[in-house]
Amino acid sequence: MARSQATKQGWIGWIFFSDLAAGLMLTLRYMFSKTVTHHYPDAEKWLPYERHRGHHFMKTNDEGDVNCVACELCSKICPCDCIIVIPFEDDKGNRRPQVFDIDLARCLYCGLCEDACPADAIKLGREYEMSEISTGALVVHLDDLVAAPDKARDGGQLVPARLIPGDNPHSEVIAGKDGRDWWRSIRRD
Amino acid sequence: MESIIVILPLLVKMGIVVAVLLLLPLPLTWLERKIAAHIQQRPGPMRVGWHGLLQPLADAIKLLTKEDHIPMDADRLLFKMAPVVALVPPFVVFVAIPFGEPVQIFGSSYTLALSDMNVGLLFILAVSGIGVFGVILAGWASNSKYAVLGSLRSIAQMISYEIPMGFSVIGVVMLAGSMNLSDIVHAQDGLWNIVYQPIGFFVFFVAGLAEAQRIPFDLPEAEGDLGAGYHTEYSGIRFSLFMLAEYVVMVVLALLNALLFFGGWLGAPPFLPPALWLLLKTGFFIWVFMWFRFTFPRYRYDQLMSIGWKVLLPLSLLNILISGIFMF
Repeated sequence: MARSQATKQGWIGWIFFSDLAAGLMLTLRYMFSKTVTHHYPDAEKWLPYERHRGHHFMKTNDEGDVNCVACELCSKICPCDCIIVIPFEDDKGNRRPQVFDIDLARCLYCGLCEDACPADAIKLGREYEMSEISTGALVVHLDDLVAAPDKARDGGQLVPARLIPGDNPHSEVIAGKDGRDWWRSIRRD
Repeated sequence: MESIIVILPLLVKMGIVVAVLLLLPLPLTWLERKIAAHIQQRPGPMRVGWHGLLQPLADAIKLLTKEDHIPMDADRLLFKMAPVVALVPPFVVFVAIPFGEPVQIFGSSYTLALSDMNVGLLFILAVSGIGVFGVILAGWASNSKYAVLGSLRSIAQMISYEIPMGFSVIGVVMLAGSMNLSDIVHAQDGLWNIVYQPIGFFVFFVAGLAEAQRIPFDLPEAEGDLGAGYHTEYSGIRFSLFMLAEYVVMVVLALLNALLFFGGWLGAPPFLPPALWLLLKTGFFIWVFMWFRFTFPRYRYDQLMSIGWKVLLPLSLLNILISGIFMF
């Protein structure tokens, strides 16, 4: 009491609860401001930026071979031991992975494999909907990694989406990528 | 035959009031969650029904089907009694509350109150004072330190705030010259009591917040320091009875604010029935209570006591003095 009296409002303001009124006005303004919650996965979905570390994918070269040279550096640096690489020699005499499995149930998406890779092969993209019914289904293999989408060029918007029913409950983008900018609509006062 | 004609309308009115009061917490919990959410820039419940309107129904089903747990060392009889003791007084208060002028149906007149008694206000204050017994019994019977602490706080708070609350309405009674709530409303025909009794309204409002144990005076169930306060050990349907009691007390206080200081059903715009106008005013006060809840932090225990005894009590006495001087 004494402190708030001393600071700015004076005793008249203190008698008429100017500090309480200021608080009430603030919450009243917030009450009628726009909400910023993402209605995920009912109506909309957030597209992460290029830097987002989501799903893993494998890059391929012009001849259609994977970039990976099976050096196993990613497997070594992985803090949770979730990458298994078994090398072999392909028809062209190159060292390539015969097995390249990532256990997504154990992966913590730190991106160290991406940093360690000397051949620009293993990368992390922006897909983040990877729920499955069993943990076994969360192990992705080499062909899955090659088929996975590339890094995004845009991001940061909210786009319309809906939930796909069924045993693979991922949400699906159903409209264009020019969503609303939720970041700007956050009230900050 | 004569007695049936007297009793039947009474039973109908009773049935309506009880049904409405039992169902009222459903929209009120929804409203509370929505207001909380929008103050925090969230949409709140959205998935059950349109904008989450059916959410309280789902919650009610959940609460009613949960295990009704009684702690091993609890006093079983008091433990089972407490929720009912807490619930009955706020319901009984509605006996004395009028909702409008008497209406004419088929040539006979019916009052819009269960009993338009001449000591209505006294009855309301007295009966709502009993409500604290439920809290005391709940805290004592639970055999839990949090519950006991919560109920101890509750006793101290209720006793401290009942006095300024009682004093604050004396000004209103002086103006109306009656304790009958209909007379009090009629006395506000020209100007609402809020104009004559701003101090009285302030004291009544704050003491009412404390009586309803709403933030900033919700010490009996301070989640941060007491778990859940006096109903820590309650679950399932008994817990929901406490919740019901809390919401009904809030409705009672909002109604009393509207009746005593804001002209009750008077001054309705021509297109609105007066009873609905009164309910709109009540709704406004309920909204204000919820708005306060999500704006203010909780007072400390010593602050609570000093507000009650050192601020509200002198203010209410001063209000009586001023009203007396002006009326003289």
